[in-house]
Amino acid sequence: MNKLIDAWGMNAEVQWVIFIILCILVFSSVAWNTWNFLKPGKLVKELLVRTRSWWIMCACFIVTTLAHPAVTHIGLAFLSFALLREMYPLLKLDQRERNVVLLCYAVIPVQYTLAYLGMTTLFLAFIPVFMFVVIPFMLVIRGETQGIVRSIGLMPYSLVAWVYGMSHLALLFHLPEIPGFTAGPQGLLLYLIFLVGINDVLQFGWGKTIGQRAVLPKVSPNKTWEGLIGGVLSVTLIAVALRFLTPLEAWEAAFTGFCVAVAGFMGDAIASGIKRDLGIKNSGNAIPGHGGYLDRLDGFSAAAAPFFHLIYFFGVTAAG
Amino acid sequence: MPAKSIDAELFNARVPSGRRWLLWFLYKVLWRTVFGLVIGLRYVWGKTPHPDGPVIYIANHNSHLDAMSLMTIVPSHRIHLTHSVAAQDFFGRSGFRSWSMKNLVNAVLISRSKEDRDVDPIELLDAMLRQGHSLILFPEGTRGVPGVMADFKRGVGHLASRHPDIPVIPVYLDGLYRNLPKGRTLIVPFGGTLVMGDPLSFPAGTSVDAITEKAQSAIESMAADLKNENKLPPTDSP
Repeated sequence: MNKLIDAWGMNAEVQWVIFIILCILVFSSVAWNTWNFLKPGKLVKELLVRTRSWWIMCACFIVTTLAHPAVTHIGLAFLSFALLREMYPLLKLDQRERNVVLLCYAVIPVQYTLAYLGMTTLFLAFIPVFMFVVIPFMLVIRGETQGIVRSIGLMPYSLVAWVYGMSHLALLFHLPEIPGFTAGPQGLLLYLIFLVGINDVLQFGWGKTIGQRAVLPKVSPNKTWEGLIGGVLSVTLIAVALRFLTPLEAWEAAFTGFCVAVAGFMGDAIASGIKRDLGIKNSGNAIPGHGGYLDRLDGFSAAAAPFFHLIYFFGVTAAG
Repeated sequence: MPAKSIDAELFNARVPSGRRWLLWFLYKVLWRTVFGLVIGLRYVWGKTPHPDGPVIYIANHNSHLDAMSLMTIVPSHRIHLTHSVAAQDFFGRSGFRSWSMKNLVNAVLISRSKEDRDVDPIELLDAMLRQGHSLILFPEGTRGVPGVMADFKRGVGHLASRHPDIPVIPVYLDGLYRNLPKGRTLIVPFGGTLVMGDPLSFPAGTSVDAITEKAQSAIESMAADLKNENKLPPTDSP
């Protein structure tokens, strides 16, 4: 694979995927603006707002990914922090358990520091083993047991779902050397970001155009079987097409793409269930047209850990 | 010690240019970053542009962060002319507190009880408005019960009825009390929303009570709008 721009430091694979992302963004901006010019409507307005937000999100993701790994770690840690900060007031953890909430926030820098230092074993155990004991204990020593079961459930869950999963992306920087693999951790990161992003877009697109039967009518009426199957199949194909970013063979990339799409859907569905129980439409208003951080990152945080383990299995374990 | 007079107090409220830049840095740079990145405060701006001259900001009050967040929405060129109105008996309790309230918050301290004051606070604030200063008022008078809005006191009515030309900007602060509740000293990020309303203006001759009531209902309706904004519509559930 040849570099698009020779003078730039980033490798050829990364240059190509950025080029593809820019093409998609330019294409959709031109398409929606033309559509809006010819026949303005509610749907196209929403598409325009969403596309504008995608431009900003893509810019942030690409800059953060290509900067020094420390910057990438800080960026990912901030996303975890923003997710917790958005969900805690909604989950009504506010008044009495402030100190334990602060402890949950403090877990984030520790977890990402472990990733940065490459202390993989401790990284994998820190939240699901140690914090699962420490946080309930901190809740108990407050001396107030009323309603404690709820907090003992919610706080460790929030850490696993929105910190532990997401932090696996930082581990991509510590994969052992894989022969013949040149795209590097940045390539893998952009591969996952691309797949999860395009998965959301395509499930939305397929659902809006041919969607008929709801998958989970009581949880999220907008998710249809047509959207789900169309999305998963297209993402599987795209994963194969973009496998130059990974050390994977064609069928391995297909399997990875399939898993990422399904995991993205699962994360999305879980977030919908949580939001429905809380009686809210969106988790926040941070991203115009999309809602809050959780609305955008639900699929991402669910797909991150499976993606890491698939890459590790196919690229390192199975390759011997 | 000479008896306090309005002139002396007004002289006291003048801001040297060094402090002006300090205030600009503290609120437009530092606190704005803290609110945006750490606390996660969402700003919802009003539809009309911010008026140029003196303004009375009114907001509901549950936390010490309220005054900080209001200072971040003041236009840069008026930051040194904008004063939070704070209680002498609480913020003037120690030398350090009153020093930092004056120099770092740009607040005016007024006495809440009639016994120990030489200057009527309404007269002082009135004179400040006349001289082109802006004021930040919390008409509930105290931080009160978290998340609950108390009835407004009539100070804002008195001031607005004397200055029909000065717009009153209602601001609704949601959820800041979770970040720093009354009686705590540690800020724990929990997000929040600052809704800036459109300026209210009251024609000359509007009664004090009518202004107070309208100001309160303006903030109450902003609170209701914000609450309904993100609600799942009942028809959405099959």
